[in-house]
Amino acid sequence: MLVLSRQRDESIMIGDNIVVTIVDIRGDKVRLGINAPSEIPVHRQEVYEAIQRENLRASRLEPNDTQDIGKFAGRSQQNNGQSRPPEGPRR
Amino acid sequence: MRINTTRFGRIDVDGGDVLAFPSGLPGLEDCREWALLADSENDALGWLQSTTRPDIALAVVSPRRFVPDYQVRIPRSELTPLAIDDIRHAQVVVVVGQNAKILTLNLKAPIVINLESRTGRQVVASGELPMQYELSTERPPLKKSA
Repeated sequence: MLVLSRQRDESIMIGDNIVVTIVDIRGDKVRLGINAPSEIPVHRQEVYEAIQRENLRASRLEPNDTQDIGKFAGRSQQNNGQSRPPEGPRR
Repeated sequence: MRINTTRFGRIDVDGGDVLAFPSGLPGLEDCREWALLADSENDALGWLQSTTRPDIALAVVSPRRFVPDYQVRIPRSELTPLAIDDIRHAQVVVVVGQNAKILTLNLKAPIVINLESRTGRQVVASGELPMQYELSTERPPLKKSA
């Protein structure tokens, strides 16, 4: 791991298009500003890793596992598409 | 395009129905192309099938069908890569998981799809939301986000 010391308002460049800036330091908490291209997701590490684990767990599901999911569903609502089931080619 | 999926056998997907996920998904970063399939038995369920990995598919649902008081707050920076300025113009689905035989929904990290541009991304919603919301027939109200 590369370890650098920075003071408030100083920055670090990663590659040629990511900039991390120390926005504020208060006690043992540091506020970081991150400038990165929008295709590069930026997340708190523990959150990202939790989502990774959850996706990998979810990717093991088979249709057998979800066959009873309908019993938890409310009535289908036809408002602004948010509650419509996902659309796609019938398999 | 023809995919020999492990769950659904051989399926044919129209190129125009394929969704592009420029960042893949966390844990599945190399899966950049997905097809959204409707489950043949459950109209509340869909499957996000990877077009490049036949063994990878995620069960997804429209969250409000199962959690009526689910209100998702997504930071604008999470929506910008999808060129969505209003979440109401997007389709939001959540991934179905399983914990010790109980089906769960990832309400913390929904998948947002821009139907016009056929692009998608998994985002991190603001507030305290469960990554494993347990589905049960007794439905306690979702805690209000901070």
